[in-house]
Amino acid sequence: MNLHRTKSIACCCFALLFFGHTALAQQNSQRRPGRAILEIPEVPRSEVICFALYTVHDNTLKLTAQLYPLQSGEPTAVRLEIQKDGQWVEVARTDVIERGWTAPFRVEDWDDTQAYPYRVRHGSEAVYEGLIRKNPVDKDEIVVAGFTGNSIQPAHGGDISRQDLIDNVQKVDADLLFFSGDQVYDHNRHYAAWLKFGRDFGEIIKDRPSVSLPDDHDVGQPNLWGESGKISTLSGNADGGYRQPGIYVQEVERAQTSHLPDPVDPRKIGQGIGVYFTNLNWGDIDFAILEDRKFKTGPAGRVPKQGPRPDHIRNPDYDPASVDVEGAVLLGQRQLDFLDAWARDWHDAQMKVALSQTIFCGGAHIHGGANGRLHADMDSNGWPQSGRNRALESLRKGFAFHYAGDQHLATIFHHGIDEHRDAIWSFCVPSIANLYLRWWEPLQPGQNREPGSPEYTGDHLDGFDNKVTNYAAANPDKKPAGNLLNTRAAGFGIVRLNKKTRQITMECWPRNVDVTDPSAHQYPGWPLTISQFDNYNPPSWGKLGELTFDVDSPVVQLVDAESGEILYTVRVNGKSFVPGAPEGQSFDIKAGQDAPEKTVVQGAQVGGEATAVQLK
Amino acid sequence: MSGPIVNESHYSRLPLFCLRLGAFLCFAGWTWVHYYWEGPYGVLLWQDSTFELATRLGLSWDEFVGSGADDGFVQKWIARIWWLYLVCTVLTVTVRERSWIQMSALVAGSGLLVLLSYASFVASQRQLPMFVEHGGQMLIPILLVMALGLGPGHRVTVTTAIVAVIMTFAGHGSYAIGLWPTPGNFYAMTTVILGVDYETAQALLRTAGVLDFLVCVGICIPLVRRGSALYAAGWGFLTAIARPVAGMSWGLNYWGGDQYLHEAVLRAPHFLIPMFLFLIWRRPRPSEAQIN
Repeated sequence: MNLHRTKSIACCCFALLFFGHTALAQQNSQRRPGRAILEIPEVPRSEVICFALYTVHDNTLKLTAQLYPLQSGEPTAVRLEIQKDGQWVEVARTDVIERGWTAPFRVEDWDDTQAYPYRVRHGSEAVYEGLIRKNPVDKDEIVVAGFTGNSIQPAHGGDISRQDLIDNVQKVDADLLFFSGDQVYDHNRHYAAWLKFGRDFGEIIKDRPSVSLPDDHDVGQPNLWGESGKISTLSGNADGGYRQPGIYVQEVERAQTSHLPDPVDPRKIGQGIGVYFTNLNWGDIDFAILEDRKFKTGPAGRVPKQGPRPDHIRNPDYDPASVDVEGAVLLGQRQLDFLDAWARDWHDAQMKVALSQTIFCGGAHIHGGANGRLHADMDSNGWPQSGRNRALESLRKGFAFHYAGDQHLATIFHHGIDEHRDAIWSFCVPSIANLYLRWWEPLQPGQNREPGSPEYTGDHLDGFDNKVTNYAAANPDKKPAGNLLNTRAAGFGIVRLNKKTRQITMECWPRNVDVTDPSAHQYPGWPLTISQFDNYNPPSWGKLGELTFDVDSPVVQLVDAESGEILYTVRVNGKSFVPGAPEGQSFDIKAGQDAPEKTVVQGAQVGGEATAVQLK
Repeated sequence: MSGPIVNESHYSRLPLFCLRLGAFLCFAGWTWVHYYWEGPYGVLLWQDSTFELATRLGLSWDEFVGSGADDGFVQKWIARIWWLYLVCTVLTVTVRERSWIQMSALVAGSGLLVLLSYASFVASQRQLPMFVEHGGQMLIPILLVMALGLGPGHRVTVTTAIVAVIMTFAGHGSYAIGLWPTPGNFYAMTTVILGVDYETAQALLRTAGVLDFLVCVGICIPLVRRGSALYAAGWGFLTAIARPVAGMSWGLNYWGGDQYLHEAVLRAPHFLIPMFLFLIWRRPRPSEAQIN
């Protein structure tokens, strides 16, 4: 670079640092509002109920009504009524919890074979109506709409109406809504922002079950390594724990998760913070609801410094094993125990899906543009590697598909542990409005790519040396081109779970398109359809002898004949099944109509003979 | 305050040392941040408007943020900027009464600290107290220059120091009292260090916030200004060391020193400027009075 050029750049630097932002920010402010105005509006008393979320699981209805602040002297009781035989009947009553103004209802012995209109009532005026759907067990295809990253800032397109999302969810008639995290970006006023979220999405939430998982920004911090409820004091919070007081976190979780099925292991963590990891069975799809961050260890001071932040690794020549430190936790033993049990249990389940905040790998290379290439990010579920592998081992035992968000970058990955593509698939959905841009842009072309696929697809190692295979990435434009949503790769996901074919179709839609319009295009790489059984089908495996059954779609379990360890459990599709298994090992095969109670083959090996199994 | 003092050099040595030490520690702390970690400029640079200006000045996108495979202008300069802070750190030690070039450089260093404070302000969604509470840090290089050029007891120097203390304590107090949302780390540090529950932590913070504002008033009233300055020095010291006290642990690499110590060091102006005022406002000892 010549001297003139250097001087020019130096002048540019000076001008940028001191004058650029302010001068041009003023110009921009004439074109668009600068910042979101977040306030709690005064509403008529007849509209004091903002919205309501619900789930139905195991014949229990849980519904949480979200209220605007009540005035002094107003009653605190809130009633839940359903319409039965043309009559409104009160089925539950509860007192509103003042901190966060939530009213959580619980109704046991719920009849999920029928749909019921409901209304939440407060006082004599306020009424909020919706529909509790019937359990869609008779539908072949269950549709789950997925969202993440709900910035409301104009700079991210966050001030643009969400009506396109509402319309599209109505058009596809989603059976379940999944908000994977960062529904709220305001770090101090969750309540006000949650009310706004309700005003934006209440129209679709009120009529169908919803899963919302609070992530880092929801609980008021830029990144979250929860460390079982520790208190975080470090700027950036990489020391682990929560920045906001426990009472704030409890309020957030009560607002966003108290309508979820009861936690399977409800013991509280530090600061009195609860847990919500559990499962939701809806339409014979068994969803595991996970908390990626709650038990995760913070990296600051635990791993050798490798970059400009305790959680960022810039040095591409670092030793990945050096950060996989002993004692570092990802999901934590309590969630792993739950997952192991969940993967074995196929009662009323034909397919399994894990819902969590983020994906089990470092799924981006360039962060924020101006922050440049990042070799690895310990905020991702790629770290710690041992914890990541342990989670994937548990999930693949149930052929679970993973649906997540958080990354601000939509991707499809097929994960690997010991070899590429030997574990589950994941779909990370794009942000509703994208706060922070990321790109999946490996320096080397991927191996074993699909014919005609971009070079960024195929087999790769992520920044932690985790084996990953990319199939699609909705990278944003390289330049921040104005404030349009789709140049920032905003959008939403749809997953279609076909119980008849056992196929999983991932769709990734930009904002402001009509998904029913045949001319509308998804982001490049989507849609993609896989089989449920692709979630545990390592390339190195062979096939055992075919099993034929006298009952339809029984549950089959393979157990290592030597170690007694379960290889996997799955409900097969139809009356025949050819189990996959590693070469050179023997397996005992168990089967049953709803649980693998009967050993049907002993010592099965790859290339073995077909067996007719009687289970009646 | 600005009257004739015969033994000026003796009388002003300690106050001047406070300013020199405060400026040194502040720049040293920020040098560490920029060298070992990274300056918080991303929030300013990653803007459409910034790139538009860079384009007008002849920088392409790839030159500005890098091609993805290599670093661009932004990353390279953010990585190098620690040199400026190191130079300022050295200057706080070497600057003397007539070192006009060094003094000018320190005033420019104050500009760097203003920029950092502005970055924090933008990152906080433009909460005014976030900028205001950095007043002590932003002004201490200028205070040092004033103390050298005009004299530590000069009316302008003292008034600027009062402004610096008021900015620091008013900004901090606005958060502690809840005029703006109290940052989570205020609760976190209080809870971890004192082992108290949320309600107690909140009561303590509200009380501290009220006292912050009383300091802002008291420091302007001759009768109580020394007491206010002494309290401010003590409280400023406690809030500065709260970060390493709350965060460091035997179990961490380097006991967490590389993560937390600079957080206390760069906040040295929060207690050394009040200490400067306390010393300036002390009564001359009889021996000094006799000389006078």
